[in-house]
Amino acid sequence: MAMTDSPSPRRTPWFALSGLLLLATLLAAVFVQVRQHALLTLTVQDQDDYAVLSLYQLEVEYLRLREQLRKVESDTDRELRAELQLRYDIFLSRVDLLPTIRARRLLGPITSSVDTTRALDAFIVRAEAYLGADPSRRLGAEAISALLIELDLLGEPIHQLLLDASHQVAAQITARRSQVQRHNEVALLLTVFLSGMVMLFASIAFRQMRQLDHRRQHLETLADQLRDARVVADAANAAKTAFLADMSHELRTPLHGLLGMLGLVKEAPRDPRAMQWLGIANDSATHLQSLLDDVLDLSKLESGTLALAPQAVDVAALVQESCALMQSQADAKGLQFEARVEPDVPPRVLLDPTRTRQVLFNLLHNAIKYSQTGKVVLLCRQVLADDGTPQLEFDVTDSGIGMDVEALAQLFQRFSRAEDPLARGQGGTGLGLAISRNLAQLMGGSLVVRSTPGTGSVFSFRCALVPALEPVAAAASAPAALGRNLRVLVVEDHPINRMYLGALLDRLGHHSVHVENGLEAVAAARAQAFDLILMDVHMPVMDGVAATAAIRALPADVAQPRIVALTADVFADTRERCLQAGSDEVITKPVSAASLTELLLRQFGAPQLSGAASAPSQPSLKPNQVLMDPAAQGGVRAAMGEQRSQALYAELFVQANETSRRMRLAMREADIDGLRELAHAIKGAALNLGLPALAEAAATLSTEAHAMAAPQLALAVQRFDELVQATRSLCVAEGLIEG
Amino acid sequence: MIQRRRLLPLAATPLLGPWPVQALEPAAGEIVLSLSGRVRSPNRRDRAVFDMPMLQRLPQLSFSTRTPWFVKPRKFTGPLLRDVLQAAGAHGQQLRVSALNDYRVDIPADDAQRWDVIVARLIDDRPMAVRDKGPLFIMYPLDSRAELRSPLYFSRCAWQLKTIEVV
Repeated sequence: MAMTDSPSPRRTPWFALSGLLLLATLLAAVFVQVRQHALLTLTVQDQDDYAVLSLYQLEVEYLRLREQLRKVESDTDRELRAELQLRYDIFLSRVDLLPTIRARRLLGPITSSVDTTRALDAFIVRAEAYLGADPSRRLGAEAISALLIELDLLGEPIHQLLLDASHQVAAQITARRSQVQRHNEVALLLTVFLSGMVMLFASIAFRQMRQLDHRRQHLETLADQLRDARVVADAANAAKTAFLADMSHELRTPLHGLLGMLGLVKEAPRDPRAMQWLGIANDSATHLQSLLDDVLDLSKLESGTLALAPQAVDVAALVQESCALMQSQADAKGLQFEARVEPDVPPRVLLDPTRTRQVLFNLLHNAIKYSQTGKVVLLCRQVLADDGTPQLEFDVTDSGIGMDVEALAQLFQRFSRAEDPLARGQGGTGLGLAISRNLAQLMGGSLVVRSTPGTGSVFSFRCALVPALEPVAAAASAPAALGRNLRVLVVEDHPINRMYLGALLDRLGHHSVHVENGLEAVAAARAQAFDLILMDVHMPVMDGVAATAAIRALPADVAQPRIVALTADVFADTRERCLQAGSDEVITKPVSAASLTELLLRQFGAPQLSGAASAPSQPSLKPNQVLMDPAAQGGVRAAMGEQRSQALYAELFVQANETSRRMRLAMREADIDGLRELAHAIKGAALNLGLPALAEAAATLSTEAHAMAAPQLALAVQRFDELVQATRSLCVAEGLIEG
Repeated sequence: MIQRRRLLPLAATPLLGPWPVQALEPAAGEIVLSLSGRVRSPNRRDRAVFDMPMLQRLPQLSFSTRTPWFVKPRKFTGPLLRDVLQAAGAHGQQLRVSALNDYRVDIPADDAQRWDVIVARLIDDRPMAVRDKGPLFIMYPLDSRAELRSPLYFSRCAWQLKTIEVV
């Protein structure tokens, strides 16, 4: 599952930063241009070069006036006089311009300008007397000579003024040029920077486009996966529908057999074949039960609530017992049937005998079913697993039809059966191998198959090998094992079931009181002390869950009995509700003598037996199916104290619920890394507090989430959520936290 | 800044109008402005000459403007250049302007049509002597348009105006 990197929040500051930079650069560029414009306007307004021209013309007019004055000195012609007057007036108009030039500050820095102006003014004052608009004196030859001498003295300062001004202008032009050049350089830099920013923006945009593209591709992949998941789900749904149809057929067949045989016996009880008919009826009933057991097992395996009950078992006896039951089937088909236990197998090992037997039955049943001739061999031996730990292996070899690769691939899938018309008629629920493999894994082992079409198959069932030190539990009668008689309250609305349970308890030597519903049960529990209440769940007036809660809520001076809920439901939900209400255990109906004995042993048995029976922390068990590890929990409680450990567990479940919620969120957003982090965080806490199943589920998500397809992942997250709820219920039931 | 008097519609007619032009009256007083070259209605040999009263009789326009030659804004009054040209029957593209101080500049005849250029004879409502850059001063309405505040137009404002040669 390809993940897109860098989520959007991390991109924003980059974007904002470069945007701000760009804006700043643009502002700077505008500033420089405004400055340039101002400078240009200033140049136009100042007209300094024009001022220099004015000064130049002033000098020219000065020279002309002097020349004219000289002419007039030697000649007194009227026309020359008039010309002199004109030249003087023009010269004056030029001198008038000096203040405007000074106003432009051009002459400011020139020190000689003040003296020159003063000298000019002095000359004009004198000349005005002769050449002014209203002359007060006649311009005689002497006056002309005197004026000429003064005028000559003006020549050098005026020329100097012109030179100074032109130098000043040259300096100003140079200064302005360098200023313009600086501006140009800044503008150039800004342009370069702007180009850089534009490129940066472009690259960011490009990156975003690429990310969008990635995301789109990711979405497409996801859509494909969802489509695939739907196809898978549809297929599973179709398979379930087909399975239900099959099941109703499968259930009806043995039921008909049972009813038919019972009918025969009822009609003719004295018939010599009656025993045979009863045998067949029994077989049918057993088959019926096995079907229901399979469905129940599957439900438990799927919800993760199936717990093993390991005890010390004599392997040879177990194998013999299993073979004895299958012998008749093999004989009926004329097959040879051998069973062998290798000497290296320890005589007594810790095993859940019921589940082991279940797997062996299934394998043997299949072997016999698919073999028409030849022999079926069961071999039990000790092997070493890949990691070097010893394992117990049961090989079932048949000489049957064998399987090709395709069939092998389908073999362990739920609801699938070999497309063999012969086999179809021979029973089997189609769940056997799926359940067997799950059980094998639960027992710390595996179930594998090797097969060649036409020559037969070998199924190898392995489980963890743990030698048992204690003697094999004697199948003695319950009172002997328990050492005392129990007072039992049977709460059951169905009279036949009541009678049946009463009879069973009676046979085991216990005393029983019967009531019909929950309300009566509460009254009875209040009135009388019981060791055990067998509580049906579905009852009129008040059901078992409510009654259990009511009994648990009785005043403290009433002795609290053990309460075991009985239900025909296979739903995990019912089980949880019972445990939540305060039941010690939930067992599934029908209740056989054997299962009742086991139940009593579990609840009231000798310490070492109950230890073996309910020891979920046995090394042979995979921890993932155990909701609670009492040893670890005991440690926590001892270390923290009752109150603080309660707070700790409560906090853990608050966290776990939050994690579960956020995982779903992460899954929706395809944030697999986030999901894995969440899972990893909760894993350690769960492990420390002795909740191995929860820890295992979290560990799976933490390590494998990225390798899972979308539907798988959704299932794993859902399973985690369910485990959180189940574990929490259990903790409430155990009093670790308050409901 | 520009105070315009109501002008006769005739004043706005183009320079190169094909219709016959009235002959210019002869100048009685001192000649202050002389137009030569392509003039259709000369009044002294091939020239059209003006004395001050003749210019005064033409429609007058006044405006104040800042100039490079005076520290403060000044008010200028005088006939529109285009009216003077029309009175002289001038028909040309360029006006070669000369001043008493031997300043010379070429003004496109078009300028007289585009802007209200005047031949100023009064500054702040008083006649201009030669020493005051008079007696005539070609003045553009420099403050009315930003584009006019440039060295180009400053250079066309000829003072101590003497003659105009129409080419």
